Amino acid sequence: MTLEKTQLASTLSGYAIETHRLTKRFNAFTAVDHVNLTVDRGEIYGFLGPNGAGKSTTIRMLSTLLLPSSGTAKVGGYDVVHQANEVQKRIGLVSEKMIMYPRLTALENMMFFGSLYGLDRDMLRKRSEELLEMVQLTPFKDKQVGGYSSGMRQRVNVIRAILHNPDILFLDEPTTGLDPQSTRFVRDLVKHLKQQGHTIVLTTHIMEEADELSDRVSIIDHGKIMAVDTPQALKDKYGTNSLLEVFLDLTGRELRDSTNEHFSMRAPMGRM
Amino acid sequence: MAETNTWAVALGIARRDLLDLWRARMLLFFFVLFPLLLMGMFGYIYPPTPKSNPTAGTIGTAFPNLPVSIVQMDDGRLANLVAAQFIQISGQQGLFTVFEIASYQSARNQLVQGNLKGIIIIPNGFSEALAAGQPAIVQVTVDETNPTTASIVQSEISAVFSIIGSSMSAQNIRSMAGDDVNPTFIMQPISVTNIPLVSGVSSSFQFLAPGFMALTVVTGALQGVASAISREKEQGTMDGLLVSPIPKRSIIAGKVMAQTVRGLIQGFLILGLSMILFGVQIYGSPIVMLVVMLLGTASFVGVGIILTAVAPDQETAQMMTMLLQFPMMFIAGILFPVDQLPVWMQYIGKALPLYYAADGLRKVIILNASLSTIMPDVLVLVVYTFLTMTLAIPLFERAMRR
Repeated sequence: MTLEKTQLASTLSGYAIETHRLTKRFNAFTAVDHVNLTVDRGEIYGFLGPNGAGKSTTIRMLSTLLLPSSGTAKVGGYDVVHQANEVQKRIGLVSEKMIMYPRLTALENMMFFGSLYGLDRDMLRKRSEELLEMVQLTPFKDKQVGGYSSGMRQRVNVIRAILHNPDILFLDEPTTGLDPQSTRFVRDLVKHLKQQGHTIVLTTHIMEEADELSDRVSIIDHGKIMAVDTPQALKDKYGTNSLLEVFLDLTGRELRDSTNEHFSMRAPMGRM
Repeated sequence: MAETNTWAVALGIARRDLLDLWRARMLLFFFVLFPLLLMGMFGYIYPPTPKSNPTAGTIGTAFPNLPVSIVQMDDGRLANLVAAQFIQISGQQGLFTVFEIASYQSARNQLVQGNLKGIIIIPNGFSEALAAGQPAIVQVTVDETNPTTASIVQSEISAVFSIIGSSMSAQNIRSMAGDDVNPTFIMQPISVTNIPLVSGVSSSFQFLAPGFMALTVVTGALQGVASAISREKEQGTMDGLLVSPIPKRSIIAGKVMAQTVRGLIQGFLILGLSMILFGVQIYGSPIVMLVVMLLGTASFVGVGIILTAVAPDQETAQMMTMLLQFPMMFIAGILFPVDQLPVWMQYIGKALPLYYAADGLRKVIILNASLSTIMPDVLVLVVYTFLTMTLAIPLFERAMRR
């Protein structure tokens, strides 16, 4: 498909992401329940919710890794089920589990994953090196990533996802487990990517992060969207200056001890 | 963005998998060690046995120079002569190291302690019986705690006495009927000689080696594919493959290529080792051999993928492959001939592609069979590959997005 056609299709849809009654059930358990959401082009959309609320399941459906049980979703103007291939060309995924091979060097990982997007080898190498330079990993590019610190690995994980310059980027808890320096670095990187025109869907448990980065946040619980607005508007509405308080008001204060039983029964071979 | 080509992507995936193996030095060490150990182990369990040739008076043995003792209870001339001949033949043919022990009781003690494998008793009256023209008896006690050795010792002792007996018969016949008579005509008017299936095959291990080779290649592929895919799922890299716009079957194709290369490396290690250590020879075409090995691998890869699609994690996938591969060793004609099994088990054994891979490989390596000769084996493997792949690919694709 040519670039013009791509742009036309996306323009027709208007939104970078649009879902209609999107639902995922695992046997009797409904993980995502008739979710309608829209993400504007070029915005950072914070996707918040307690553990087991349905964030990761939604992201996996939007990134074509999981088939919806019902409802529809369009990403970049394309249907995630019937036009998965077109969707895949336009998205990048930074999931909780780092997508990289520990015995490959950073550069080799970049070259390998880049090759899956049909990028020309010379161009791919040039872009990989530029990105590694951007995240200050050039001196380590020929070292196996298995020996990297978690902060270094996460930097590779993020640039790996943007190698093919995707319109839309899914970041699933990109700063979990990172030290403050790496957290700052990754957050600045996210802002930088927004400036470059990427649409970003960000899930996080860190409310301060969502507040700092997101243009809009949505709060999901029990598979349903509870609220969507700009962080400021939400705080105003609930009469507090903390997004955490808004979050707790909406999702309650009791602990969420969920097991993944419904997943292991249903979805073979590891999942989110 | 250019469209990705299935085979180019598959090659890239295969290359990465092999690079991974190359860099995992410890894994690589065991990857090489495993077939060597397997072959070495089976090679010594089934050691090269020189063939016996009764007409020429030679006895082959897999266990040379086993310790036995002769207990002489008769002091007659003929008893001494027979004992001396026994010691001489045993020594010449490397069958036994013979100790002379005075009493049965002390010989038995030695056997119980494990110092002897058998006792030959020449009882009182032995010489007398022979001198009187009566058959004489030799008594034998063997170490029955080890049935395999016991039966070998028993049969080798009998074979030695049969050689001694034959030469005594020949002498007796000549002395009774004169030199014009051929004693063999009287003792054994019809004899059987063996035309070897392949001349020069001196070792029974030759017939086992191709089976082990098939077993290693095939189980390597089965286990390799299952664990490679489930490992990527668990470590998260499978998401990176699945989220990219590649034809998803190129993931399978890539894994299959890498595992095939790994399987072939192990197969040839086994072949090399059995040639060097156990004198196994290849009589057939290496190309046909390669074809059978490739098909054997292909026929199992689909099964590996099906297991991966069904198993929830790497550990379960491994257990499932173990469950499949362990009985295969016994019922697919690798260690025991299939005909030796109960009938219902024979059906199962012959339903396994390993049976055909081993059979084909055996015929090519030892009998110099051509591709057309082993066509039945090849066809079964092709059909198996086709059926399992037809089932595996959609199952894999569905399992990945469930």
